[in-house]
Amino acid sequence: MAAKNVLTVRNLRKQLGAKEILKGISFQAASGELVAVTGPNGAGKTTLLRLIAGLMPPSGGEVLWNGARLGLEHRLVGYVSHQPMLYGSLSVQENLAFFGGMYGTLSQDRLQELLELVGLWRYRLEPAAVLSRGMQQRLAIARALMGEPALLLYDEPFTSLDVDGRQILRGILEHRRPRALQLLITHELEHLAGLPFREIRLEAGRIVPGGDASA
Amino acid sequence: MLKFGRRILLIYRKDLQDELRSTDHLLSTLVFGTMLVFVFSFALELADVGTEQIFPAVLWVSIFFMSVLALQRSFAKEREYGALDALLLASGERSVLFYAKFLFSLTVLLLLELVVVPLLWIFLDVGVGSASLWFFLAAVLAGSWGLAAVGTLLNGITVQLPGARLLFPILAFPLLIPLLMGAILCTQGALSGQVQAVLGWFYLLLVFDLLFTVLPLLLFDYILEG
Repeated sequence: MAAKNVLTVRNLRKQLGAKEILKGISFQAASGELVAVTGPNGAGKTTLLRLIAGLMPPSGGEVLWNGARLGLEHRLVGYVSHQPMLYGSLSVQENLAFFGGMYGTLSQDRLQELLELVGLWRYRLEPAAVLSRGMQQRLAIARALMGEPALLLYDEPFTSLDVDGRQILRGILEHRRPRALQLLITHELEHLAGLPFREIRLEAGRIVPGGDASA
Repeated sequence: MLKFGRRILLIYRKDLQDELRSTDHLLSTLVFGTMLVFVFSFALELADVGTEQIFPAVLWVSIFFMSVLALQRSFAKEREYGALDALLLASGERSVLFYAKFLFSLTVLLLLELVVVPLLWIFLDVGVGSASLWFFLAAVLAGSWGLAAVGTLLNGITVQLPGARLLFPILAFPLLIPLLMGAILCTQGALSGQVQAVLGWFYLLLVFDLLFTVLPLLLFDYILEG
């Protein structure tokens, strides 16, 4: 059995101007886990995910992957954000092919498999800009999976997905479980009903006491 | 190193494909450049100024204005749908983005110059008698290289800021003064056939280009950090 990958977040702090967004976040999670990060607006959830992804530098503390500092250069993070993070003028297929090329994981089979998984195969030649927001979100999920990431970060991924889309995402969360560590920001835990997950609750930049629990 | 180069080429190819597919911006910049040629030739005709003396300055003022329009676009596609983060995660190194965007900007600038420079040459009725065409081309290439490098660097700095379109030309102009001086003087030297007299300026252009091509390798990681 392969050794588990471990993410360690140690005393992570982030200050933006005079405001301290994160005030010393610490937790550990391993591949196979689904971690739901919850909390009110402004609690620092998105900042936490961006810091883990390496998209912004911390003001203090560190993010480790198997004991070594985790940075952009490792290219092991798949990220689904509020925004679709796509190229509007490129077709659905071209978007995925571009990111697949960047990760070195591009193959026609892989492309077709992912587009079928998110239900966009028949839209593959459409420019991403003409897709509905929900379909763009599906494409964003496929894009995040393209690099076969060991660490998947989802920032409110259920937003703008229809019932089918939500089912697809639940399937992905379940299917990716053995191979990846998944962290997900959500305000609606009922979307995860039936999936084993652990909840980390943030408030005002801190994990609330007793706010790290398995459901 | 091979992967670094491959990722640069992938982003470059994607940007070029995108730009050529929706030619609005390229065409509008080209129309703007052509209008500049007409306005300058018309104005200089009326003022009865020796066009050969003024050609280098007019040429580089036109290229500068076109570059302000053209280069601001290099990160526009990333801004539109928030693709910058996805691109950073896939690139692994922020400097990959700089070199891809730099190559793209240089290509766009050279494509625009391919039309505007001959037009300006013809409309201002500049003779080729003693001109050193090779040195002229070298000066245009070196000047454009510097414009593209500085433009891409500044775009990287301003891409995540509000009011980027306003900030870009304000920051670009003072940085580009030595480059514009060198490019104008080298063009003048090329036209008069007095290349030796301006070689020092040409070397300055090369040093400027080298500096702003290598510096981002060290700086771009910090520049694009949120």
